[in-house]
Amino acid sequence: MSTTRTKPAAPAGAVPHPGPTGPTGARAWLRDLAMGVRFAVGGGREGWVRTVLTAVGVGLGVALLLGAASVPDLLANRDARAAARNPADTMSAKTIERTDATILTVDAGTGFRDSEIGGRSVRADGDHPVRPPGVSELPKGGEMVVSPALRDLMNSSDGKLLKQRFDDYRIIGTIGEPGLISPKELYYYTGSDTLSKAQGAHRVEAFGYHEETEPLDPLLVVLVVLICVVLLTPVLIFIGTAVRFGGDRRDQRLAALRLVGADRRGVRRIAAGEALFGALLGLALGAVFFLGGRELVGVVDIWKVSAFPSDMVPMPGLTAVIVVAVPVSSVLVTLVSLRAVAIEPLGVVRSTTARRRRLWWRLLLPVAGLLVLLNQDQVTRTGGEDVQVYTIAAGATLTLVGLATLMPWLVEAAVAQLRGGPVPWQLATRRLQLSSGTAARAVSGITVAVAGAVALQMLFASMHDEFNTTTDQDPRRAQLNVSSPEASGPLAQRMIDDFRAAKGVKGVIGRVSSYVVRPGEMKSGDDMRPTTELSVGTCATLRELARVGPCKDGDAFVVHSGDRELDQWVDRTARPGEQVELNSESWGDDASEARGKHRPWTLPKSARTITSRPDPAGDRYSGIFVTPGAIDVAKLADASTQALVQIDPKVTDAEEYVRNAATHIDPLIRVYTIRMVERDKQYASVQKGLQAGAIATMMLIAASMLVSTLEQLRERKRLLAALTAFGTRRSSMAWSMLWQTAVPVVLGLGLAISGGLALGFVMCRMVDKTVSDWLVFLPLCAAGAALVAAVTLLSLPALWRMMRPDGLRTE
Amino acid sequence: MTPAGSLLTADGLRKVYGPTTALDGADFSIHPGEIVAVMGPSGSGKSTLLHCLAGIVRPDAGEITYNGQRLTDMNDTALSALRRSEFGFVFQFGQLVPELTCVENVALPLRLNGAKRKDAERTALTWMERLEVDDVRDKRPGQASGGQGQRVAVARALVTSPRVLFADEPTGALDSLNGERVMELLTDAARSTNAAVVLVTHETRVAAYSDREIVVRDGKSRDMERLV
Repeated sequence: MSTTRTKPAAPAGAVPHPGPTGPTGARAWLRDLAMGVRFAVGGGREGWVRTVLTAVGVGLGVALLLGAASVPDLLANRDARAAARNPADTMSAKTIERTDATILTVDAGTGFRDSEIGGRSVRADGDHPVRPPGVSELPKGGEMVVSPALRDLMNSSDGKLLKQRFDDYRIIGTIGEPGLISPKELYYYTGSDTLSKAQGAHRVEAFGYHEETEPLDPLLVVLVVLICVVLLTPVLIFIGTAVRFGGDRRDQRLAALRLVGADRRGVRRIAAGEALFGALLGLALGAVFFLGGRELVGVVDIWKVSAFPSDMVPMPGLTAVIVVAVPVSSVLVTLVSLRAVAIEPLGVVRSTTARRRRLWWRLLLPVAGLLVLLNQDQVTRTGGEDVQVYTIAAGATLTLVGLATLMPWLVEAAVAQLRGGPVPWQLATRRLQLSSGTAARAVSGITVAVAGAVALQMLFASMHDEFNTTTDQDPRRAQLNVSSPEASGPLAQRMIDDFRAAKGVKGVIGRVSSYVVRPGEMKSGDDMRPTTELSVGTCATLRELARVGPCKDGDAFVVHSGDRELDQWVDRTARPGEQVELNSESWGDDASEARGKHRPWTLPKSARTITSRPDPAGDRYSGIFVTPGAIDVAKLADASTQALVQIDPKVTDAEEYVRNAATHIDPLIRVYTIRMVERDKQYASVQKGLQAGAIATMMLIAASMLVSTLEQLRERKRLLAALTAFGTRRSSMAWSMLWQTAVPVVLGLGLAISGGLALGFVMCRMVDKTVSDWLVFLPLCAAGAALVAAVTLLSLPALWRMMRPDGLRTE
Repeated sequence: MTPAGSLLTADGLRKVYGPTTALDGADFSIHPGEIVAVMGPSGSGKSTLLHCLAGIVRPDAGEITYNGQRLTDMNDTALSALRRSEFGFVFQFGQLVPELTCVENVALPLRLNGAKRKDAERTALTWMERLEVDDVRDKRPGQASGGQGQRVAVARALVTSPRVLFADEPTGALDSLNGERVMELLTDAARSTNAAVVLVTHETRVAAYSDREIVVRDGKSRDMERLV
């Protein structure tokens, strides 16, 4: 009698035996990848910790990449929003007839502290006025509608002064999303009953006008390309690092698989499957982080950067590349990283120490990158738009990625030379000698980021003069320049008086000016009637505008500017003892053009000729200077007023008190800050974008280093507990950890500085600029040191936890 | 009551980990130069007793006195200093620092006490010769065999000439031949320096090297002599 023995069923979750003739080719790949995924999902706490670490790391990187992929759409959407609220046809010669739907409008923006506040003054012509987007009811005189951010600011204690500026207006509503560029934008519409074309207003019948924006300056294109490469390369490296999180423990598990019969290629594929799952989960998490971050950008305002979530849509093509490239690269990185590891049935053997890293091929990448850039044509501001964007990006990427590939060789070669030293130093350097690859990987992100930042700073510094022009203004003499188009002498006087009365104002250089002409018949041969400017101001004011000498109220002066031709023209009008005509329009070139009554005024015979000097705003005036005692400003026709205001720097918000006074006189009065240097707006926004991107990248690098350190600590839990047992001080271990982080970072910074300086030099050469500052790396070194300190400090709680004696317990 | 002449005593030790009571009124004492084996089944609390005696873990209740000083009154810094200067440790898996060479591992406790590197390594080498592992001095622990590694760990424990050596399953990861050699060397070295040895083991073969055995069961200790 024979008995049949059946094979006992395998317990649930057991790894199926591949069998002597398992599947091959694509089927083997699929089977092993699937098994890897199963390990990632069902590997217990260990497996989950590793998968979550990888997924979070990849997720952060993916979120940043999706953010970068949204930038083109974001900018386009912001442009579209700005275009939608522009009054239509203001730039065309077409005359718009007044109808029930038309309105008069003029730009009426202001500023508050360091924020710009956009605004328009509007006046409806009829009962059914056209409305800007986002505005449900057009404000009437004494009413205003504001953006939600402006409303919040005005209602906050910080915005008390701003609220006072608009206390003549009642807020009747808020501007909706379609009428704003970003959720945190400060914008308003004020209603007016008196607005007229004379005040510069335009009549409009619709909103929506797309202004042709200037194409980005070729030099800025180069900068933007480099910024993208510098910010995104560390993200890619970070993703590559993240898929290797927890690799050591995984290898031990794979050794157990070898014991039950999996072959070498099989375990690599299983490892790739685990990484693939982590990367796929990371993609999903990245989408979640991105969507969360997108909402956050809609509610918080970091460095005045905010955006409507709906405007941040990643470009489909770039999204597809991310979705495909991340999982594929996770598999490739895993396979490549396992090349140096022999997973045997009885354990894991690392061959990293046996095979020394070779330098020659690692040098190829950065050298090739620099050669690509050196062979580029020079880019100039006038050089048109044909900047070789992709070639520059490829050259810069090769150089930066090349630095990352140099890192493992550098760390290995450098730490091999380190000997002796105190115990913490010895522990750290020996640890680095044993596994320099992990340390090099951890800092390769920072190396690339700093090298890129050094190159960028050099490029920025070399372009600085190009985009920052000296204005000839002198903020030491006056800090604000206020001008009113209002053609009224009394109003001008009120302006000066009100500014003088404003809190924090030390002095006002107030000048009322008008054009005067020589009365009488025109001389034969004259193309036009001799005309000159007449400026009225106190002796103190006139001293700011010219070398006046002795002066008392009632004096008048003929003012030369030093330009011979111009001075001759002045002398033909301003003749001491002779009359000038204050109403220049009363003398037309022929009788038919003459308008209004004559207002003759005699320039006193005692008027001396003096020479002008630039005022604090950098302008130089000539013609006739008169003190108020010599002329009645009310008689001036078409007068305009300029006030240069000196404020007391000790009085907080003095500038805002002046702006408030200005708005109360006339909402259309513009207040400008006097600046020695004027920054190009595009240049400034590129710099701002770099700032925001650099912070995000640095945080990502810090997160990567922290995870790497924590992972190492976790692997050494038992050893740390044993070291505690025989009395090792906590401080010794903390120092050891600091050195362990600092040594690779210092080496990385050294490499980054040399690589960055080389890249910066080549880039400067490409834009035909000389390197103006070779020491730009110093602040970045400080940032690197701060990063090391932060990572060490953040790791300390985990270190103390790992040094608890619990680590010695086995039960 | 403290037995007369004891170097290290424990009285009524109690230690609870979550729902598990590891020690429940355990007593212990050891004299200078004495080797005491602490035996018991897995999970009985023997390692916890060792950790409490060595000042690694604070008991929830009870008192430990070393050379007239109450360990339970000492702060962490004082306990660490005591462990560095007076105690030595050997663990089941050696717990050598993998990145240091064997001689550097042995020298480590001396260096933590402030000794200069060369002096520390010279002393370390003497101990390595005594424990017959001087041939692996420049190798990393991973390059030495299990038996050699454990002897390096014993050398590291003895290098500071401790007055008490705590050995937690020192031969647990070794074959019988290597285990016996480690025990011979360990006990010989301890006796030659008059160090007391607290030897945690569950193997009677290993316990045979001791002068006295105590058994820990359900968190309570019993002196074997008294049981007989």
